[in-house]
Amino acid sequence: MRAEYLIKRVFYSVLVFFITVGITFAVLRQIPRSYPGLDKSVIAQYFVYIYNVLQGDWGYSQGVPVLGLIWEKLYWSLIILVPAISLSLLIGILVGAHFGWKRGSKMDASVLNVMMFTRAIPPYWWAIMFILIFSFHLDLFPLGGYMSISALDRGISYSDILYHSALPIITLTVYSIPGTYYLMRNSMLLTVGEDYILTARAKGLSEKYVLFKHVLKNAMLPMVTMIPLECAYLIAGNIFIEIIFSWPGIGLLTFDAIAAKDFSLLQGIVLIDALLIIIANFSADLFYSHIDPRIKVGGGNV
Amino acid sequence: MSVLEIIDLKTWFQTQDGLVKAVNSVNLRIEKNERVGLVGETGCGKTVLSFSIIRLLQPTTMIEGKILYKSKDILKLSEREMQKIRGKEIAMILQNPTTALNPVLKVGDQIAEAIWLHQGLKKKEAKEKAVEMLEAVKIPLAEKRANEYPHQFSGGMKERALIAIGLACCTSLIIADEPTRGLDVTTKAQIIKLMKDMTKQRSMLFITHDLEVAAEICDNIAMMYAGELVEYAKTDDVFKNPLHPYTQGIFNSLPNRGLKPIKGMSPSLIDLPSGCRFYQRCDYAREICKNRHPEMVEMENGHFVRCLLYD
Amino acid sequence: MYKYRKIGLVIGISVLAAFVLIAIFSPVLAPYDPYKITGAPLEKPNRNHLLGTNNMGQDIFSRLVCGTRATLIVGFGGALLMVLIGTCVGIISGYYGGKIDELLTRAVDVVMALPMFPLLIMLAMFLKPSILTLIFLMGILGWTGCARIIRSQVLLFSESNFISGVKAIGASDIYIMVKHVFPNILPLVLVKFVFATQDCMLMEVGLGFLGLGDPFMIDWGQMINRAYIKGGFALGLWWWLLPPGVSIAFLSLAVASVGHSFENEINPRLRRMIL
Repeated sequence: MRAEYLIKRVFYSVLVFFITVGITFAVLRQIPRSYPGLDKSVIAQYFVYIYNVLQGDWGYSQGVPVLGLIWEKLYWSLIILVPAISLSLLIGILVGAHFGWKRGSKMDASVLNVMMFTRAIPPYWWAIMFILIFSFHLDLFPLGGYMSISALDRGISYSDILYHSALPIITLTVYSIPGTYYLMRNSMLLTVGEDYILTARAKGLSEKYVLFKHVLKNAMLPMVTMIPLECAYLIAGNIFIEIIFSWPGIGLLTFDAIAAKDFSLLQGIVLIDALLIIIANFSADLFYSHIDPRIKVGGGNV
Repeated sequence: MSVLEIIDLKTWFQTQDGLVKAVNSVNLRIEKNERVGLVGETGCGKTVLSFSIIRLLQPTTMIEGKILYKSKDILKLSEREMQKIRGKEIAMILQNPTTALNPVLKVGDQIAEAIWLHQGLKKKEAKEKAVEMLEAVKIPLAEKRANEYPHQFSGGMKERALIAIGLACCTSLIIADEPTRGLDVTTKAQIIKLMKDMTKQRSMLFITHDLEVAAEICDNIAMMYAGELVEYAKTDDVFKNPLHPYTQGIFNSLPNRGLKPIKGMSPSLIDLPSGCRFYQRCDYAREICKNRHPEMVEMENGHFVRCLLYD
Repeated sequence: MYKYRKIGLVIGISVLAAFVLIAIFSPVLAPYDPYKITGAPLEKPNRNHLLGTNNMGQDIFSRLVCGTRATLIVGFGGALLMVLIGTCVGIISGYYGGKIDELLTRAVDVVMALPMFPLLIMLAMFLKPSILTLIFLMGILGWTGCARIIRSQVLLFSESNFISGVKAIGASDIYIMVKHVFPNILPLVLVKFVFATQDCMLMEVGLGFLGLGDPFMIDWGQMINRAYIKGGFALGLWWWLLPPGVSIAFLSLAVASVGHSFENEINPRLRRMIL
C-alpha cells in the first residue's frame, strides 16, 4: 500500500515536471535564436528538449551554460532558504499549535491579528523596513551584499557570510511564519473538534496527554502535505528579499534575467524551482506515508 | 445510595444565533445496576445532558443544579478531580464509531491507555488487559486485532472497540450515546446483546432515539422532549400504558403500530414556548396548555408524566 | 472577540471603499498629469507637491493616486477568474464524484505543484505584460486552492440526502449545481474571493516591482522599485519610497481583515458547544 502510494506520487512528480518543461518549451520555441533543431516536428523538438534538459543541457545565457550559472546561484539561495524554511516551520508550528490548543483566549486573538498583519505586508516591504531599522538606524547589520569589502583582502570567511545573511534570513522567516502558523492553528482547531478527542478526554486522560498523544499527531498530518506549498511561497518571496538585500542567489538572478529579457535563463529558473518543489513534495509524501497508518499499513475494512 | 442523581439540572450555552436552553430542570436518578434509557428526537438535548454529566462542555457553558455521583456533587469538582472520575467511575461511549476512534493510534493502545492510567499497571500489562477486553467484546483474533488501526476494523467492530474502551476500567456508570446508530440490523442485534451482557454489573444511561432498542436493554425509560423530561417509568409501564401524548405519538410512529408520524416539528431550543412545549404538535391540546407550563407529576407508583391532562 | 471582528469588518470595508473611490476618481483627484514633469527633481513635500516629486520631477501624489487603478483591477479581476475557475472545478468535482472527481482532483494536485510564481514571471514577460495578461495568468495558475476547498465543501453538503431528493424529482445536473449547490457554498466562495483578491493585489505590485507591470499604467510596484534602485532609500528620501509601500500594505490589510471577518462568520466549527 505504501509502495503503491509512493509510486503514484512519483508519477505525479514526473507529470508535473513534464508539464513545466512543456510550458518552458512552448515559450522558448517562440524565441528564434534560443533553441536549435527548428527544422524537426514540434513533438520531436519537445523530446529533444526534454532529453537535453535531463542531460543537464539547459541552454546558454550570453554564452554561459544556464545550468552552471543556476547551480552556482542556488548555493547562495539555499543559504537563505534552508534556515528560513526551518525557522518558519519550527516557530509557525509551535505558535500555531499552542494557540490552536488555547483557542479563544485573549492572547490567541492578538496573535491572530499580528499574524494577519504580518502576512498582509509584501516581502519587499518587510525587507526595506528591516534594512531601514536594523541596518540604517541601529547599524546592527550590513546594508546588503554577501561579504564585506575587507573580504577582498582577507578572503571570504564563514562568519562574514553569516553576518550578511542574518537579516535576509530573519526577513524571510518573519514573512513566512504566518503561513505555517495559520495552517497549524486551523489544523489544530479541526482536530480538537474531532470525536476521538472527546473519546480520549472521556477516558480521563490529562489535558497534556490528550494534546501530545492524540491531538498533535493528527493535526500534523494535513500540515505535512501543506509544507511543500509553503516552500513554494517562500521561494517566491525570496526573489524579492534577495533583490533588496543584493544577495547573489536565484532571486537576484531572476531580476537580472527579467531586465535582460533573457528567456533561456528564466527557463532555467523555472526548471530549478520546479525541481525544488518536486523534491519538497516528495519528501513530504515520504514522511506522510510513514506517519499515516492508513497508508503505512493499508487495508480497508476487514 | 443512588449511583447518579441529577437534581434540577440546567445547561445553557450561548451561540451566535442566541442562547440555547438545551437542558431545563432535569431530575433523574440512576440506582446501582440500573439501566435507564433516555429517549428523544435528535436535538432534544439528550447528548448535551450526557456531556454535562461527564463535564466535557465548553468552559463558557452555563450549568446549574446538582449532579450527585455517589452523593458527591461532580459539578463542584476541579478538572483534575474530574479526570480521575472519567473513564474510571463514569465512562462514556460516544456515538459514531467511525469518528470516535483515533485514526493514528493502534486500537489496543487506545484501550490500554485508560487501563494504564487508572489501574496503575505497567504498559505491557495494560496491553494484555486490552487484549482481554477485545476478547470480552467478542472480537475474534483479539491479539492480532489489538495491533491494528481503526481503519482496518469494520463498523460493527469499531463499535465493539469503543465499548471495550468504555468498559475497560470496570466503571460503575456507563453513558452510551446511540451505540447502535448507523449499524445494519444483524450487527445492531449483536451490539444490543453485547451491551446487555456487559452491563449486568453496572449502571447505565443509554441514550437513543429508538424506543424499541431502549426497551430491549433498559429497566426504566425517560422520555426527553425539547430540553426536558416528559415521562419517566419502568419500561413495561411505558409500553403498556404510555401517558404523555408525545410518548403515544412515538409509539404510533413505530412500523408495527401504524407508522403514523407526529405532526409538526419540535420547537427550537433557542426560542422555547412559555406553555407546554408539545402544545403545537399535540392532539389533545387545550387552551390552557398554551400558557401554562406543566410540572412533572407522579401518576402511579414510579410513573411520572409532565402533561396537563393528568393535572 | 466576535464584536472585535465586526469592527475589523467595518474598518476593512471602509478602507477598501475609499481606495475604490480613489481609483474611480483618480483623474479628478490627481492634481497633475502623473507622466508630466511638473517640478524640480526630488522636491520635498510642499504646497505644490503634496508628496514631493521623484527623480524625474513627476508629482508623487498624482502617481500614487493613479497607480491605485492597476492594483485594484488586477486584484479583483485576477481573483474573479481564480474563483470562477476554482468554483466550477470544485462543484463539478464534488457533485459528480467518481471518475470525474478523481480526474479533476489529480489535475488540481498537478497544477498546484507547478512553480507558480516563476511561471507567472516567465509567461507575463513572454505574453507582454498588460492588465489583461496579468489577470489571465493569475486566474489560470492560481485557482487550485479554491477548487480544493470548494470540492470538500460540496462533498460535505452532498452527503445530506436532499440533493438526491432533488435529483429524484428529475432536475438536471446543471440546474441542481446552479440552483442548489452553488447558493449553499456561496459564503465560502465569497471568503475565497476576498483572500484571492489580497493575493492578486500583492502579486500585481510584486510583478510591478520586478518590472513586469502594465507599461501603459502607473503601478505602485514600479514606484517602489524605482525609488529603491535609484537610491531614494539610501539618501533618506522617504516621501519617494514610503507612499506606495504604505498604500499597498494598507490595502492588503483592509482586504485581509474583511476576509477574516467573513471567514469567522461562516466557520461553524468555531461555534461548537461540546469541547
